[in-house]
Amino acid sequence: MHAELSRRLRRDPFFLIGSGLALLFLTVSVLGPAWAPFDPWDISFSPLAPPSAEHLLGINDGGQDIFSELLYAIRNTFSFGLLSGVAALGLGVCIGVISGWIGGMVDAVLMRIADILLAIPAIMILILTAALFRPAPLSLALLLAALMWPTISKAIRAQTLTLKHSLSVKAAVQMGGGNFYIMGRHLLPEMFPLYLIGFAAKTRMAIFMEASLAFLGLFDPARKSLGLMISYALKYYYMEIWWHWLMPPIICLSLLIMSIAFVAISLEKMLDPRLREPVLEGTV
Amino acid sequence: MTDTRRLGPVIAFCLAALTMTYLSYVLPTLLPGDFVTAMYGGSQVPLTEEQESELRRHYEGDTGFGGYLKRLATLEWGYSYAFLKPVSALFFEALPWTLLLLGSANLLAMILGFVLGVEVAWRRGSRLEKGVVGGMTLLEGIPEICTGVILLVLFSYQWQWFPASGAETAYVTSGFFERCIDLGRHLALPLTTLILAYLPGNFLVTRNSMIMVMKAGYITTARAKGLPPRRIRYVHAARNALHVVVTRFGLRLAFMITGALVVERITAYPGLGTLLFDAIRARDLPVIQAVVLFSSLMILAIVSGLEIAYRFIDPRIRHAR
Repeated sequence: MHAELSRRLRRDPFFLIGSGLALLFLTVSVLGPAWAPFDPWDISFSPLAPPSAEHLLGINDGGQDIFSELLYAIRNTFSFGLLSGVAALGLGVCIGVISGWIGGMVDAVLMRIADILLAIPAIMILILTAALFRPAPLSLALLLAALMWPTISKAIRAQTLTLKHSLSVKAAVQMGGGNFYIMGRHLLPEMFPLYLIGFAAKTRMAIFMEASLAFLGLFDPARKSLGLMISYALKYYYMEIWWHWLMPPIICLSLLIMSIAFVAISLEKMLDPRLREPVLEGTV
Repeated sequence: MTDTRRLGPVIAFCLAALTMTYLSYVLPTLLPGDFVTAMYGGSQVPLTEEQESELRRHYEGDTGFGGYLKRLATLEWGYSYAFLKPVSALFFEALPWTLLLLGSANLLAMILGFVLGVEVAWRRGSRLEKGVVGGMTLLEGIPEICTGVILLVLFSYQWQWFPASGAETAYVTSGFFERCIDLGRHLALPLTTLILAYLPGNFLVTRNSMIMVMKAGYITTARAKGLPPRRIRYVHAARNALHVVVTRFGLRLAFMITGALVVERITAYPGLGTLLFDAIRARDLPVIQAVVLFSSLMILAIVSGLEIAYRFIDPRIRHAR
């Protein structure tokens, strides 16, 4: 199933563009500090200067090089999203498999917690915590992950319940395999494509949240972020500098979220047999 | 059995509301120092001796969570020293604007997305379908922050078609009709931004669930009976696709509300988002606390209301045994 999937993914333009862009942003995030021509906190340049050969995107109102700022902002925003996505995925998969495999009271309690978390708007808890305690971005990313695992674990749990009745799992139980052995060797590897969907959806949500929280001013003002850059630049939108100050973070944020949305939508399309292209229907 | 199943989500919503209220009570008490220093210590508004003792008197008789609930119910949410108004007054001033903006945006995006989804799914495999689905997927990737700013720069700065901020023109007394036009012109930019943000989700969900519904046997039967296509589309197919759209609404709300907060700020629309932004800048914790808690409670009430209404409308759930 997995080999078939990767062959069809390679033919989907949305997946190709999405993953290509995501790789590009990953490279920028890793190499950004090395590529940045100036220190983004250096305030020694003449404020609001237009772009030049030296300063590709000009200078902001505080006398900082916008291009270097942008590279750091992409790095911070993207890594927040990836971290939160990975943590939410780990949490969601563990809870989903345990809940589905063990069942009984454990399942009931875990799924009730999931229902409650699903109902609470995550942004509100993040705003409250950020405003009261001013935590480090890392803690906020983990808190966000702790709030958004339920959708992943619901999907994983449902899949676990179907796999429970498959022959291979029944055989493993017959041979005396322990809980952890069966979960680790039989259940987890079977569900690989579901991880990708969950991870892409949560990473996208986390990037969006990070940009919004930064835009609302809930992070340390010295921390570069796409949302914060937009917030600062928006104050000067009526001046002729919007195209080289306001536009770059907006385009980067859109492309970043778009790349991950494309991957998620394309994976969902591939994995849901009911949505497949009508041409392929005969072969399914 | 049917009753517990019907009430399951409602219980989850009630517990979520309780959790939210408890968090907003307990988190400030975890701050170092006493309540008043903690809440107002980081604030950018210096308090006079008199104000501070008044605050202490207000919070001194702290009777735990029960007392907190009582204060919430009686609208004693404290006084904002950044805005020089009671917190409840600030909240209820901003609330109607947010309800107007979010309500109309959701309604329009829902109707547009649903009709478009049904029509496009019906034309499965055509060039129109591929184009619209591609376009919507593209639009789905653009966050509200970006659409909002681009629309602002284009329509309010470059072409100056719409005002850049506020909800109505100040100090103008005019007739009812002129006032409506004025309100509409101010609403145009944030409303369009939100519709553009909500539309793709509604569209894609409707289309996907329509495609599944259209494979059902009763659609073939309806076609075989020679019913007019529009009747099949809306009375037979779309009614069943609606279920998925409403269910997904609750799941997408956390995402949607985040965008709304940001969009209000971009066009300085005087709703809860802008109030929250200003309160964050002034570090006015009581206002932040009130906006966060009461907007969450309202979201929970709306979603659970929809859930209950839908459970009574859908015959499959009503008659489930």
